[in-house]
Parts: sequence; C-alpha cells; structure tokens
Amino acid sequence: MSERLGNRLRDLRAERELTQAALAELVGVSRKTINTVENGVFVPSTLLALKLARALGCPVEEVFFLAD
Amino acid sequence: MPSQADIEAADRLSRRRARILPVLAVIFVAQQISYFAEPDTAMRAVDNVKIGAWLLLSVVLLLALATGGFWLKPRRVRALMDDDVTRANRAEAFRIGFLVTMTAAILLYFLSLFAPLSGREAIHALTTIGIATALLRFGYLERRDLKE
Repeated sequence: MSERLGNRLRDLRAERELTQAALAELVGVSRKTINTVENGVFVPSTLLALKLARALGCPVEEVFFLAD
Repeated sequence: MPSQADIEAADRLSRRRARILPVLAVIFVAQQISYFAEPDTAMRAVDNVKIGAWLLLSVVLLLALATGGFWLKPRRVRALMDDDVTRANRAEAFRIGFLVTMTAAILLYFLSLFAPLSGREAIHALTTIGIATALLRFGYLERRDLKE
C-alpha cells in the first residue's frame, strides 16, 4: 500500500482569503498544525480533519483525498 | 477557543523552543566532557556539585521534553504548543532517544569487557546520550514543521 493522504487545504483556505493563523484560530489549533497538514508532513486525526472541513464550510472529502 | 493572540504567542514560543532545545543539548553534552576527561579519583566536594548540577539539568531537560516546557505560560498557550504535531514529534524524539541509548548500552557493555567501567559512569553516559539525542531530534522536527 503506497497510498498517502492528499489535501486541498491551501487552495480552499486561499479561496476564502484565510491566513494559516486565521484558520488555526477557527479550528482551535496552532499555526504549525495547519502548516504541517497543508504540506503533507502530518496526517491529521479524524477529529482534526472534520474540524478543518467544518471551518472551511465543505465536506471532509473535498478537503482530503487518497493520493496514489 | 484560543484567540489570535494565543496562537501568535504559541507560534513565537514554539519557535523559541525549537531553537533553544538543541542548543541546550549541546551545552548538556559539553558539560559532561569535563566529567569524563578527568580520571576516576576519590570524590571531592566540587565533584558533588558538578554531579548535582548534571542531575538537576537532566531532570529539567527531561521534564521540558516530556511536557513541552514554558510552565509559567497560560494553559491555553501551552495547550496550543502541545498539539497533535508536537506530540507526534515528541514520540518520534523519544523513539530515537531510546534506540540510540540501547545501542550505546550495548556498545558500553562490549567496551567494559576490555576497559573497566563503573556502573555510575555507565548510567551517566547513557542518560546524557539518551536525553541529548531526544532533544536534538525534537528540535530538528519542530524546526522543520515551523518552516513556512
């Protein structure tokens, strides 16, 4: 299995004109967390993924996807 | 929910922690050079002070690594500084620290077959190696994750 978790977090955040710090505030996490998720360094927990999707106002599968 | 000010404070302090911990690891190791450089002679009062300082620094560094440090900062800020990413980095730092310590223990055991080594010296070396390795790894991972 070489699947990894891809995400459109940076694009969705930019569409809503949110900075990393602003999104971090909405979700209640540190800016580092947003940064590492965006860069694919850190795979978020289900809870965090759902919170991010809710903060961006879209379904979680629109934010995260399986990348081959 | 944390405020923007809390997030900025957590970001600033996390950067400071990522810079300070590796420096402390180097100071911690450098402090041990004088201990191992001197021949094993009878204990003097100054040796007790040196060992006391090493023990105290070991405990402080271990606690800082385990809890994230900055104990006097507000709980909200400390919670942000101890998020999922930090906890994952800490777990990885402890994993590497454990592996390096066990490898060092095996090497020291092998070396002790040829050169006498007291239990105290062995514990001193292993504690120093374990804590310093974990600090360096944690500092590296935190710096990587804080890059824009």
